[in-house]
Amino acid sequence: MNDFSELEEQLRKLRPVQPSAGLMSRIEQALAEQTSTAGVLPRERRSHFRWLSLGLGLAAATALVMFAFIRLQQPAKTTPAVAAVTPVPVFTAENSSAQLVPAGLTQVVYHTRDEGLHYTANSTQPMRRVRSQTRDTLQWKNPKTGATLQISYPREEVSLTPVSGQ
Amino acid sequence: MENVATDENWKTCFAQLAPGLVLFARQWARSAADAEDIVQEAFVRFWRKQHDISNRGLLYATVRSIALDFLRRDSRRARRESVAMSDVDQTIAPAFAIEDESQRVLAAALDRLPAEQREVLVMKIWNELTFAEIASALEISQNTAASRYRYALAALKKNLPSL
Repeated sequence: MNDFSELEEQLRKLRPVQPSAGLMSRIEQALAEQTSTAGVLPRERRSHFRWLSLGLGLAAATALVMFAFIRLQQPAKTTPAVAAVTPVPVFTAENSSAQLVPAGLTQVVYHTRDEGLHYTANSTQPMRRVRSQTRDTLQWKNPKTGATLQISYPREEVSLTPVSGQ
Repeated sequence: MENVATDENWKTCFAQLAPGLVLFARQWARSAADAEDIVQEAFVRFWRKQHDISNRGLLYATVRSIALDFLRRDSRRARRESVAMSDVDQTIAPAFAIEDESQRVLAAALDRLPAEQREVLVMKIWNELTFAEIASALEISQNTAASRYRYALAALKKNLPSL
């Protein structure tokens, strides 16, 4: 480091330009404004959006599952006439919806963005905000007939991790 | 919560830190006024949260975070205005009070440093942060901070053989 001592000395002789006189008064004014928006980020709204999107995704998945069950439980109405060539499976209480068993859950995170440090309204320390977008795919399978049911929906998640400095 | 605006301590703290903070913010701002806006927002936010002023790593991390947000917004605005303002002289005010030709050359060499080296140099030389504090602010290891500092000095020395 001694090689650079002269250079460091020259650098220290460079004096940064002094801030304008108005800067301190602007900060004083900002600190005095109790209702100022400084330091209050729209975090809560985005947090609500996260839960809203998650809720909507789950509601959509539930609706699709219910719709599929209803379809499977109404085979008689859709039984074709005698002219049908393909044998129509006969659904009973034993082998229809009750036989659909969960076969898998896939979660693919296809985009993650680090949005840097932010302050939440109720926190005294900064939080690192990471937004990730995921596609969840749920699968059910009927082991007897081999029929499968698959539901896929996007999900956005925002995670806030406390950051501690030294 | 105590009304910190009545507390004179912040003026003492800020008076000591302001030149270095503004210089630090200038790395991402196109003008001194923009840099002051960044510092104002960061300091107010930091002080309101009643962080310990000795936690300088966190203060500089706050400035950096706001500066990067500002840069993103500013870039979008600049693109919008670039056509309309293309014939306006975009003079950038100097960040240092230049006293002679050697200082002008040195300041110009600083501007040519890679951003990651320059920010460490600015924090170390003009803000007197320790490598631990720099590492905390930039979320890098102390060894990386020290390496970037040495690389910056080496690059300056290479470009300025007279030093």
